[in-house]
Amino acid sequence: MRRVALVAAGVTRFGVRKAGLKDLIWEAGKAVFGSNSRVRPKDVEGLVVGTVMPERTANQSHIASLAAECLGIKPQRLSARTEHMCASGSVAIRYAHSFIASGLADLILVLGVEKLNLPNMDEALFNMGAGVDRDWEACYGLTAPPCFALAAQMHMTKYGTTEEQLALVSVKNHNHAKKNPYAHFQKGAEIDQVLCSKIIATPLRLYMCSPITDGAAAIILASEERAKDLTDKPVYILGSGQVVEGFSLASLHPDYSHWPPMKKAAGDAYAMAGVTPEKIDVAEVHDCFSIAEIIAYEELGFCEKGEGGEFVARGFSDYGGKVVVNPRGGLIGCGHPLGATGVAQAAEIYWQLRGEAEERQVQGAKIGLTHNNSGMGEHLVIIYGAG
Amino acid sequence: MALDKMTDLYLRTSDPYPLQSAAFNGLHEFYAHLREGRLTTTRCLGCGSVCWPPRRFCPECLTDKFDWVDLPKEGTIHAFSIQEAGAPQGFLAPLVFAVVKVEELRIFSLISCSEPKKIALGQRVRFTTLAVTNEPGGEKRMLHAFEPF
Repeated sequence: MRRVALVAAGVTRFGVRKAGLKDLIWEAGKAVFGSNSRVRPKDVEGLVVGTVMPERTANQSHIASLAAECLGIKPQRLSARTEHMCASGSVAIRYAHSFIASGLADLILVLGVEKLNLPNMDEALFNMGAGVDRDWEACYGLTAPPCFALAAQMHMTKYGTTEEQLALVSVKNHNHAKKNPYAHFQKGAEIDQVLCSKIIATPLRLYMCSPITDGAAAIILASEERAKDLTDKPVYILGSGQVVEGFSLASLHPDYSHWPPMKKAAGDAYAMAGVTPEKIDVAEVHDCFSIAEIIAYEELGFCEKGEGGEFVARGFSDYGGKVVVNPRGGLIGCGHPLGATGVAQAAEIYWQLRGEAEERQVQGAKIGLTHNNSGMGEHLVIIYGAG
Repeated sequence: MALDKMTDLYLRTSDPYPLQSAAFNGLHEFYAHLREGRLTTTRCLGCGSVCWPPRRFCPECLTDKFDWVDLPKEGTIHAFSIQEAGAPQGFLAPLVFAVVKVEELRIFSLISCSEPKKIALGQRVRFTTLAVTNEPGGEKRMLHAFEPF
């Protein structure tokens, strides 16, 4: 396999945006090409677009070709759209990685984009139900919060994880987002604010949930040879793993606080990269709900099973701790524009490993990790290393 | 009424429920059984496995031959969450979502109850049905649910 590097990255402002789908695509295009003057749209050989529901939110399919036209790209090697609910962006990166690693292409742009907010918020929430089984789950009004609430209930029952520990993830990520000009929320949060916010789905409160957010992000990947011409500081993909074991609540591991496919995906990524969890300096993990970040510490091997609550409470996942988790503010602070999230995570790691993350910089970061999931049984982990 | 007469009234993308009639759903008998007050699932005629939810292909013995079996009408709450805010269009909070253990199967469902705060892990619940909006064409639609007793 050939080595593959990130050579450019750009992110739009995330939030309730006064913008349509194409506006977000244009903004991400300007941002990514603006980050590296040596790459022009006409040079890009392939495009992969991670997006979940433009059919529902903009009445628009055929997204890859639409985005190519918006950005002035004429794909000669690869043009595809990936839809894998909340992990769509990372799946797009894995496609691009494999195409370049195999020699089928040398330069691919990965775009993640999602316009979720609509004139009617209840419809935006209704659309999120399209991500669970319509016949057996979504028909009751199920969306993501109650699913992850089951994990929280089990983690609290089994390991004694507390509501305060769940809240501390939110406090950390909101405070990180304060330093991120692209984040949905930039005011920070105090623990009382989190603990006094309304219940969404017991035991998860509003501040423990990622919001409904619009946004887009783009990165450009290149073969090692091309990367050397395009930047002095390429950021290499060292390894990745993707494991899917179960879609519906009926078929997942019966202990919802235990995510074996995440451990497996991480293990595959660590083995391919030739690194161990202790070597990770900075991680962008999928905190769609605060419980997910606590379980991520455990399944990624940052701490033992059941100790995730303690890990955040002792500051181990913050600056000055063992590994800085979610420096950009995570999904809780940045928001979660589905298809854009995985790509925005990669962009953050790109900046971190190049020393360009400004106020959010993790000093001396050399190895970074991203984790993107699309439900409790579906995980994708990518490990990056500075050139 | 023929479906083509309904096109100006019905949009599939805003209907939260499965289409349950034989015209649209190979598992239509499940719903016919619900209307008779029966909770059923498929049993594979190749290997005998009983699974939830019902299915029409067995990944173990690769058959597509199934029959229907009745499930016990009682189970216990394996995990639950009460949604108090953020319910999607067409649904009203509070909603009590639960995974109910019925023998070895885990069945996701709504718990019908007037006092959600009394729901507890391990609680016994029994099968009931929920009537939802009719299918275009007029066929009645139902979902399975559970209730405390």
